[in-house]
Amino acid sequence: MNGLTKALAWLLLAMLGAFALSAIALHRGEQINAMWLVLAAVCTYALGYRFYSKFVAAKLLSLDAQRATPAERLDNGRDFVPTNKWVVFGHHFAAIAGPGPLVGPVLAAQFGYLPGILWILIGAIFAGCVQDFVILLFSVRRDGKSLTEMAREEIGRLGGFVAYVAILSIIVILLGAAALIVVNALKSSPWGVFTIAMTIPIALLMGIYVRRLRPGKVLESSLLGFVLVMLAIWGGQWISQSSVVAPWFTWTAPVLAIVIIIYGFAASALPVWLLLAPRDYLSTFVKLGTIAMLAAGIVALRPALHMPPLTRFVDGSGPVFAGKIFPFAFITIACGAISGFHSLISSGTTPKMIRREPETRMVGYGAMMAESMVAVMATIAACVLQPGTYFAINSPAGVVGQAPEAAAATISSWGFPVTAGEMHALAQAVGEQTLFNRTGGAPAFAVGMAHIFSSSLGGQAVMAIWYHFAIMFEALFILTVLDAGTRVGRFMIQDALGHISRPIGRTSWYPSIFVTSALIVGAWGSFLWQGVKDPLGGINSLWPLFGISNQLLATVALCVATTIIIKMGKARFSPVTLVPLAWLVAVTFTASWHKMFDPNPRIGFLAHARQLASSAVRSHEVSRLIFNDRLDAAVTGLLMFLVALILLESALLWVRVLSGHRTAEIRETPFVMTRFAAEEQG
Amino acid sequence: MSKARVGADVLVCPVERSSVPRRGHPRHTAWLRHAAAILLSAAREIFDESAYARFLRRTQMASSPDAYAAFRQEHEALKARRPRCC
Repeated sequence: MNGLTKALAWLLLAMLGAFALSAIALHRGEQINAMWLVLAAVCTYALGYRFYSKFVAAKLLSLDAQRATPAERLDNGRDFVPTNKWVVFGHHFAAIAGPGPLVGPVLAAQFGYLPGILWILIGAIFAGCVQDFVILLFSVRRDGKSLTEMAREEIGRLGGFVAYVAILSIIVILLGAAALIVVNALKSSPWGVFTIAMTIPIALLMGIYVRRLRPGKVLESSLLGFVLVMLAIWGGQWISQSSVVAPWFTWTAPVLAIVIIIYGFAASALPVWLLLAPRDYLSTFVKLGTIAMLAAGIVALRPALHMPPLTRFVDGSGPVFAGKIFPFAFITIACGAISGFHSLISSGTTPKMIRREPETRMVGYGAMMAESMVAVMATIAACVLQPGTYFAINSPAGVVGQAPEAAAATISSWGFPVTAGEMHALAQAVGEQTLFNRTGGAPAFAVGMAHIFSSSLGGQAVMAIWYHFAIMFEALFILTVLDAGTRVGRFMIQDALGHISRPIGRTSWYPSIFVTSALIVGAWGSFLWQGVKDPLGGINSLWPLFGISNQLLATVALCVATTIIIKMGKARFSPVTLVPLAWLVAVTFTASWHKMFDPNPRIGFLAHARQLASSAVRSHEVSRLIFNDRLDAAVTGLLMFLVALILLESALLWVRVLSGHRTAEIRETPFVMTRFAAEEQG
Repeated sequence: MSKARVGADVLVCPVERSSVPRRGHPRHTAWLRHAAAILLSAAREIFDESAYARFLRRTQMASSPDAYAAFRQEHEALKARRPRCC
């Protein structure tokens, strides 16, 4: 293809993307097909990758194909292994794809599909993909160092400390919020609880298969596990219909919370690898399969979106979570557009596998585009539901009322008609007792996914199977996030306390393991318990907290990136990271301020505490809610303060370097010529 | 094509992208086979089968329950500190 033909092809693609975006934005009062969202996303990603990531790679980062990567220089066959770029891409995507891009867009759909979809596309292209790409490359040039190490070396000791606290905080809040999603998805659901319970014997069987019968054949054992899980889902319907067995698996939210807290502690403190490792593989298998299946389903079935582009809740009065589009849509979507957590993966395993420097573009930038596409699919899954159904599932009892008739009447009065009878029929169709007040995003996503698939694959008859498949997929995956996160948090606490007392730093010393596991589980468990007991559903306060901490971690990552860029003498290209950094600072600081000081009790933690304190009844329960509100406000304030410190320290450093008062010293590994280039030429 | 160490023996990248279609193997079939090989390699890397193969080669052990137990012990120490993304 010659230059002119290529240019025309790209121009055509740009026009197609612009047409799709205008179709999304300008349709009013009528349904649009989900394929417009897919088309707009694909065109935007193609253009972003072809032009913007190429600009960043060439002008800002000057990717060098001649420079040996740590995977080549330090190749040890264990963690440093030069690997094919497509394989690293798959590995990196599997590591960054989590529940965030599924849950966030579902919750943000309360504003309509338009704000979410625009931020997912724009945020990914100009912020999320850039963050993942530059952090990956900078880590590759520093022998695969972690974000905390880079922050300490490039910004200063304070930077390293702030990164450490931010990472630990996000882990704690993430685990609390993630556990709450599982609780809300499984409460009063014998079918769901049974399926998840069955993953324990299935994982043990997989463990025996892979360790004894066919050593190392993980793919085979995962396939076997997947078939057994599908059988468990299929069999779950009889459990839920049995008047004898169903009560055994019908658990309330507090009971589920206690069980999950005990599970988290056991997974961190006890040697239960025979269970955890196979289940980890199983959840990855199911996750990748489900994402692929959902993508294929949307493209094949082309469902219509029933949610309007914008709802009345852009004014901040939303029932799912309170707060206006700015800043709360951006905090809520989080991972689908930019996730601070990705910077940990980009400076963790992945840089140790990169074979050639130019491949960081496809792995870092490209994998985040794929993650963003998952968020687009989650938006579609939420928006194919009738808005009344969506709000009935996602609105807490504290906002719409406990009784189905009252909740349906409240939601209908907002202009989104729904009846208690319709919701009852839907609950029956998916094999649940009720779908009212199922906050957290997971049940709405599951209903949306079941709706998409049941319209062709098996029809209404298997809608319950699809629903429980989606619930199982989310719960199983979140539980592996919980046990892995608890262990990582435990190691972080042990590493830090090891500076004070050497025995505590020994990761194999059982007293230390028990104490530090209890600390980390106690921390996220208290957030979970708070969410379970919250009359507003918990997600209203926990998800924004998670979003704020996640985006603050991205702020830290972009501070590190900007500092390195300025030290590299590329200050004129620093807006590539500086603009998303400024945007994130505006979003996170505004959101933090609202969550702390907004006078609306549904938004501000302190206003809610004041409202409770002024009520006539002052029970133990109310005192605890007041304490929780103040704790949430304190955590938000602490995170904001710490990130303000790292921003200040970074900004001072930039000024000193740019004004010539300080020598720009970067800590890159010295250049070594790659042997792969010669091999390729030869 | 270079001898790409595709996660060690992960593969095997067996298909060369020739511009000249071979008899019985039209170009699109070759492309499909190449894509399938890459997908399988990625799956083997994600599910640690390649890491196990590298372990066997490095330690010069044959695959057995004992070898796999030794691999798990080494691998889990590395894996335990990896966060799971949100």
